[in-house]
Amino acid sequence: MNIVIRKLIAKELYVNRWFIVGGSAAGMASAVIASLGKTGFNVGALTWLTTIIASGVMLALYGIMNERKEQSLQFVLSLPLSIAEYVRAKMLGLTACFLIIWLVSSVAALMPILLKDSIPDGIAAYTVLLCVFMLANFTVVLCGALHAQSEALTSAVIIVTNMGVSIFMFTVGPLPGINEHMWGPAPVWNSTFWTVLGCELAVMAIAFALPFFFAARRRDFL
Amino acid sequence: MNDKHIEMRGVRKTYKFFTLDDLSLDLAPGEVMGFVGPNGAGKSTTLRLALGLIAPDAGEIRVMGHAMPDGQAAAKRDIGYVSGDMRLLPHATLGWHMDFVKSIYPEWDGGYAATLIKRFNLRPEQNARSLSLGEHVKATLLLALARRPRLLILDEPTTGLDPVARHEVISEFMDVLRDDNRSILFSSHNTVDVERISDRITFIDRGRIVDCSNKEDFLDRWRRIHVQLPAGTTLPSLPNIVGRVNDGQFITLTTNQFSEGLLALVGSHVRDVQRMNLEEIFVANVMHHREARGQ
Repeated sequence: MNIVIRKLIAKELYVNRWFIVGGSAAGMASAVIASLGKTGFNVGALTWLTTIIASGVMLALYGIMNERKEQSLQFVLSLPLSIAEYVRAKMLGLTACFLIIWLVSSVAALMPILLKDSIPDGIAAYTVLLCVFMLANFTVVLCGALHAQSEALTSAVIIVTNMGVSIFMFTVGPLPGINEHMWGPAPVWNSTFWTVLGCELAVMAIAFALPFFFAARRRDFL
Repeated sequence: MNDKHIEMRGVRKTYKFFTLDDLSLDLAPGEVMGFVGPNGAGKSTTLRLALGLIAPDAGEIRVMGHAMPDGQAAAKRDIGYVSGDMRLLPHATLGWHMDFVKSIYPEWDGGYAATLIKRFNLRPEQNARSLSLGEHVKATLLLALARRPRLLILDEPTTGLDPVARHEVISEFMDVLRDDNRSILFSSHNTVDVERISDRITFIDRGRIVDCSNKEDFLDRWRRIHVQLPAGTTLPSLPNIVGRVNDGQFITLTTNQFSEGLLALVGSHVRDVQRMNLEEIFVANVMHHREARGQ
């Protein structure tokens, strides 16, 4: 990895520093609220989901679309780097920003489940799948934002990925291999869990790899 | 071929409603080329092609010895690019930008950067979002100049600036030109700025280069000849006349190849011969080429 890519990754972490702090704090606070009884769980779960979804969308929007719209992309592209290197730096930089928020929020969501007796540990498997889904969801949004050359197309990607969260909850939650152990005393890492996780990782890998094959090879970037 | 800072041959770039066609352009070390054209003529497209930010559909582009766009990462080590509509990262200060650029370019000249900060009346702690248009241009210029690039590509850097800011920016370009090995490609539709700093000028209109020459050559060649014809007389057929305006017995001729021989052909009917400034030459040149192309 050359110095320009390293500097651009560091740049993403710097310009998004307050956003990362705010997103992580909101994710953590939501998880704490979710562990405070039934009403707290509903409110906390909703804000936790909103925090992670909004963080991913805003990072992609501000990091890619706004850079283009506000003409600071010209400044970045005037640096000694190729289009492929720009795409690589953008993918790695924004993913690093999101990973911090995601890691803090995911750990914060899992900790009460594993530490508090009032919350059944069985829900941990579903929570892990939901957390990984949110990460996969972000990579799809990022991939879409890097490929889309218009705000309308990026908005379409965001709408579709947001709908994906609801689809995930309505389809994965009721799966027998997940649902029947969700409120059990211990998490069950069965084949259903591994299949869903495998699908999520596959989506993530594809979404992460696509920009290197397509956006990075684009001949016109402005 | 490789000693040129920019070399473009037969470049074509097609968009839905615009085509840059058969563009050929050379920029030698130490040369300042003013790239003049009306809005939408293809100036920014040409400069972006030179930077490798867009790829040509046909033709060859070499910048600082590198084939573009593939060699853009290496070429841009030696290029400082400033555009009038370029903006810095909104959530960072100018000081952060200076450190950022410095960390990428080992040639960064801290002393010169400090001089420019003072000269442009900028403050490193100022957030990019709070910079005015003029300050933004000066800030991007500072970031480009302090890394001591061998080639400066400037896309309408003075557009929208007040006269004082324009003077400061242009003066800085003049300073850069003291180094014979550095070259500038400077696009603008402001011919006054171009006339001040350029030694070669290229006119572009509707995606085609219409003329390219030394500034002095343009100023020497182009003239307006005012003629008064007595009733019943006609002008003989004259070569190199690119514009003619009749007003009764008064005729104004515009030539792009002025010579004493041409005056001799008009004879005693000549009332006045006027030198033309660059703006007048630019407009006459563009209109002549549009007429010639039936546009």
